[in-house]
Amino acid sequence: MMTWIKLAARNLFRNRRRSLFTILAIGLGFAAVNALGGFTAYIFTSLEDGYIYGQANGHLTIFKEGFLHEGKLDPTRYLLDEADMAVINEVVHAHPEVLIATPQLHISGLLSNGQVSTVFIAAGRVPSEVRAINGYSRGMTGKIKLFTGKQLEDAIVFGAGLSKGLAEQLKLELDATAVAMAPTVSGQINALDAQVLQFFDAPVEALEDKLMLVTLKFAQSLYDTTSVDRLTVLLQDDAQTESMRALLAREFAARGLKLEIKTWNELSTFYTKVKQMFDVIFLFTFLIVFTIVVMSVINTVGMAIMERTREIGTLRALGFKRRGIIGLFASESMLLGLAGSLLGVALTLITWSGIKLLQPTWMPPQITRRVPLEIYLVPSYMLYSVLLLVSLSLIAASLPARKAARMEIVGALGHV
Amino acid sequence: MRIPAAARPAPLIELRRVYKYYQMGDERIAALRGISLRIQPGEFAAIWGPSGSGKSTLCNLVGLLDTPSSGTVHLEGQDVTTLADDRRSEVRNRAIGFVFQGFNLIPVLSALENVMLPLQIAGTSASLARLRALERLGEVGLAPHTAHRPAKLSGGQQQRVAIARALVADPVLVIADEPTANLDSENAANIIDLMRQLNEEHGTTFIFSTHDQRLLERVGRQVLMRDGEIADERTLEQPKTSQVATLRP
Repeated sequence: MMTWIKLAARNLFRNRRRSLFTILAIGLGFAAVNALGGFTAYIFTSLEDGYIYGQANGHLTIFKEGFLHEGKLDPTRYLLDEADMAVINEVVHAHPEVLIATPQLHISGLLSNGQVSTVFIAAGRVPSEVRAINGYSRGMTGKIKLFTGKQLEDAIVFGAGLSKGLAEQLKLELDATAVAMAPTVSGQINALDAQVLQFFDAPVEALEDKLMLVTLKFAQSLYDTTSVDRLTVLLQDDAQTESMRALLAREFAARGLKLEIKTWNELSTFYTKVKQMFDVIFLFTFLIVFTIVVMSVINTVGMAIMERTREIGTLRALGFKRRGIIGLFASESMLLGLAGSLLGVALTLITWSGIKLLQPTWMPPQITRRVPLEIYLVPSYMLYSVLLLVSLSLIAASLPARKAARMEIVGALGHV
Repeated sequence: MRIPAAARPAPLIELRRVYKYYQMGDERIAALRGISLRIQPGEFAAIWGPSGSGKSTLCNLVGLLDTPSSGTVHLEGQDVTTLADDRRSEVRNRAIGFVFQGFNLIPVLSALENVMLPLQIAGTSASLARLRALERLGEVGLAPHTAHRPAKLSGGQQQRVAIARALVADPVLVIADEPTANLDSENAANIIDLMRQLNEEHGTTFIFSTHDQRLLERVGRQVLMRDGEIADERTLEQPKTSQVATLRP
């Protein structure tokens, strides 16, 4: 076996320039796929962390069954009251995997500066628990401040954060007072003063002139209720998401609670859309690399076969079987794939190190300041890339190699 | 005097009414027309004739490099005409050695590795193949050049490597296609002597396709081909090797 590998390796050096270009094509293709893969991994992780930790949405969100479909038209029917919450909290906190479980009440109404009013939608949160979730952030997410002004506090019940567009529309400065109006759960109009503590960027462009952040108590006061509409659950590990959803669902059902549990990626439509977009970009890049690798290898092996036709005839005359000829060219192709992949690993590492060293920055969507651009090293991508490129090289070589193996020996020996 | 069939030794090679046609466009060309030929073990025979007479085609059929359009080819009593491709490869590897006009050495392998090749194709271990290849290279006077690649060897040296390669697996038959055509006079004479010596020492059967008068003078049997038929056949008194001791690599 080693003899044939050695022979294949030496054959690659017969036309160094051609082999080098093929190896370069494979290596650059490898690096392109892995650099893009590393960048998308960084984007996905950042989006995931941003949603789970940065925006404090946790891994799981528990709603009353039907809330997501019917709740917008009749929210009060789908609120979780104190009795429900007592049972839910008891079930949830029985699991050590749960780090934090915090309630929310989303409200909507009108916000006025005393002269003009506009529609707002707001999330009522417990600020200390939101900060606790923020505290579990990994990497860049924990370092990025997503607002200007002061943070919301549990004790400042009427403190509020406004999306910049909303503040601009109502010409509200920090520390200004606005009036929030909304119907209570019993249908009466209620109004509360809100002190503007912070401005932030809305995660979705369409909400830029509507979004508010308030304390849970403010939201409950405005709606005149002690209920909430969801419970956010932060887990120890992302990998526990699905198993904990299933486990909690069984336990809630056993307690007679009709609830539904959504995972973070089901609720984060932005994450899903971005992921889909990058998956398509990745697929296109991969197809381009696939084409380049296959064409390069077919060209290299095809040319080698043409140049070494007489040699193929000699080997066949000496007793080499047809599959031996295929094996020989397959070995050469496999070595090309391996050498290209090794070069690709080196190029990926150089790219990764260069980015670490130079620390370029960029401004991703939803973030108002420049953040470091990163590329993650993903060993599994690299391993799959090596296996895939070596396999591709083998498959690409198989066609010309089979043709070589089927040559008439006499014709091959007489080839000039 | 006619020798009874039972007393005749079994032929190493026997061709029975062999025809070979090639299709050239719409035209069918007959390269061999009903050839019947027997080669006995240990013969040192030349097939000669003008270009296009069919001598290379005949050698290709005897060497199992090609198949006849009709008729049969027997090697050591076995009909090898219809063997499957893999089986023919095995027979070639085990029983037949080839020496080509252009030497046909693998350029990326050293002289030693080239000679080891047939044994390694047969699956012989590298250490044993190396030992036997060194032995053969010694026999052809190339012991000091084992590590050299073909490009570093002269034409005569390359043909010696090719002869060592042809003989390394102890074949019963060596087919040499114009083995001296690419060599100068001195090297050609040396190569002829070397093959003659190996024929005498090992009893290996040699069949040549040649134009070389010097080689024709040294063979034990001449088969003259013309227009795809055997035009003449003569057995000569086989001269013994005289210059073996003076062989130079």
